Amino acid sequence: MDIFETFRLAQEAIYANKLRSALTALGIIIGVAAIILLISIGSGLQSYVSAQFAKLGSNSIFIIPGKVQFGPQGGPPRSVNKLSFDIVNKLEREKSSDIQTIMPFIEISATASYRNSSKITTLAATKTDYFAMSDIRAQSGRVFSSADDRAARKVAVIGQTLAKDLYKSQDPIGQKISISKKPFLVIGVLEPQGNVGGIDVDNQVLVPLSAGRVLTGANQVNSILVKTTSTESIPQAKAQIEKILLRSLGEDDFTIMSQEQLLSSVTSILSFITIALGGIAAISLIVGGVGISNIMLVSVTERTKEIGLRKAVGARPKDILTQFLIEAIILSLTGGVIGLSLGYIGSVALSALIKTTIPLWSVFLALGFSSAVGIVFGVAPAFRASRLDPIVALRYE
Amino acid sequence: MKSLILVKNLTKIYGQPPNETRALDGVSFEIKKGEFVAIIGPSGSGKSTLMHILGCLDHPTSGQYFLESQNVANLDENQLASIRNENIGFVFQFFNLLPRTSALKNVQLPMVYSNTPRAKRQERAIELLEAVGLKDKLKSTPAQLSGGQQQRVAIARALVNNPLIIFADEPTGNLDTKSSYEIMDILKKLNKGGNTIIMITHEPDIAKLSKRVITIRDGKIISDKKNRK
Repeated sequence: MDIFETFRLAQEAIYANKLRSALTALGIIIGVAAIILLISIGSGLQSYVSAQFAKLGSNSIFIIPGKVQFGPQGGPPRSVNKLSFDIVNKLEREKSSDIQTIMPFIEISATASYRNSSKITTLAATKTDYFAMSDIRAQSGRVFSSADDRAARKVAVIGQTLAKDLYKSQDPIGQKISISKKPFLVIGVLEPQGNVGGIDVDNQVLVPLSAGRVLTGANQVNSILVKTTSTESIPQAKAQIEKILLRSLGEDDFTIMSQEQLLSSVTSILSFITIALGGIAAISLIVGGVGISNIMLVSVTERTKEIGLRKAVGARPKDILTQFLIEAIILSLTGGVIGLSLGYIGSVALSALIKTTIPLWSVFLALGFSSAVGIVFGVAPAFRASRLDPIVALRYE
Repeated sequence: MKSLILVKNLTKIYGQPPNETRALDGVSFEIKKGEFVAIIGPSGSGKSTLMHILGCLDHPTSGQYFLESQNVANLDENQLASIRNENIGFVFQFFNLLPRTSALKNVQLPMVYSNTPRAKRQERAIELLEAVGLKDKLKSTPAQLSGGQQQRVAIARALVNNPLIIFADEPTGNLDTKSSYEIMDILKKLNKGGNTIIMITHEPDIAKLSKRVITIRDGKIISDKKNRK
């Protein structure tokens, strides 16, 4: 029997039992939709984070406290933060001509409040250059200036979420905001940046570095971003920074990474997360496969007489095997395609809330995996059908 | 005339000693081309077992079976499948048509496994359904047909690959008297046209309509007589 005939047969059998076929495929539909959706969230996160780092430019060097290692021995830095403002000042004084800008960051969690409403938010204190460098603009009002920083003015630029939650319909600009119980003046609201992997980037408040330092009372910075004059000068700049830092710090007290190194480390962590998410969803596909196996076994039993008749009129075991196997594959592959469409629709719908992207490989993975499920879970029932004795099968009631 | 079927000392044993059952116990006979043979016997006599072996659905425990001089007793499953497909047409007591499938498609089924092109299959199926008087029932599914009509579809299906032999297993066992005689008329006509027919039945009235009656009891042939015209 030729393969087209087998396909037609399988189609007819599936069509003859519409409801049952739909329910069988449902397991696969849900599995594939879940895979596509979760991978799209994971890779949305990945592409957002990558884009954020990329925005900073390839001429960036990051200095962070502690020894950070990615890979098998990796983990959070264990040592105390020794990146102090003294170090920042030292760098400023001794920087070579390769280095353009040195930009320290303080980033802590803080409570922001206005009148009776309050919200836990991320407080970031940095220099004015940050806005231009990461291409972040104020939607209304203005961002703080170098003058604000020099004068340590207590001014704040807030994200959309914070503006909405604290000021409701009121215009926040010119209003007071209390950050960790210290009064600040809102001078600008940032453009919306969205939600990344469940983290609301619009829930933040930015203040000038000098004011932030006074506010937190801390002598440490969370990270230092160094811009070099060009990408080529990164190695020399890195060597120089390391030399300066090593004079007052131990080797384990800091990590220097170029944008390229950081990007590849972060990307590798995020793709691991993406794959893990997809893997969890893949479990539901296996459950869907068991469903197919189950229904195919019922179908074989139900169609015992048909199988007997087919054998009596000349079907070889191989013909019966392919007939049932193709039926299982069509069911799972159709389920896969429907699941793919649903996953796509879901991810588009979700993109209103958080950033999602569907990588092409996840489409092939989902389709490949669902047809593999069809084959693996279709083999047992199909084999059973092919081994039926025609005499017994014909007599079966 | 050359023999179409030649069986020698055919034996079929079910189960292991000491609980074995001898369904067939040394059966030998010959059937020539163009014969219309009825195999008759009470239930449990071994007539169904004999039919299954003759129809290449089963292997004998011992003995020889020559179909057109080819020894088929020890062929494997795939070889038997192609012999059934090309040389044997079955008509069953319970019709065994595919449910929810049109008469036209049902008749085509054996041709699906002989790789006959679609157009040819269609043409041949229509031709045979017309021959059994179901010209206006091509699209009907078994549920829309009477028992007699279903059996006629089954006969058309049996004929579709021009088989050497038609095996009819209690073809009238599930039909009323009128339909039974209609079906027997068709079989007789086919036989007149040169088809070899082997029919299993337990009804002496039906057996009388054939040309030769082999009576079987406890796995042995107890009589083999020609019917007088």
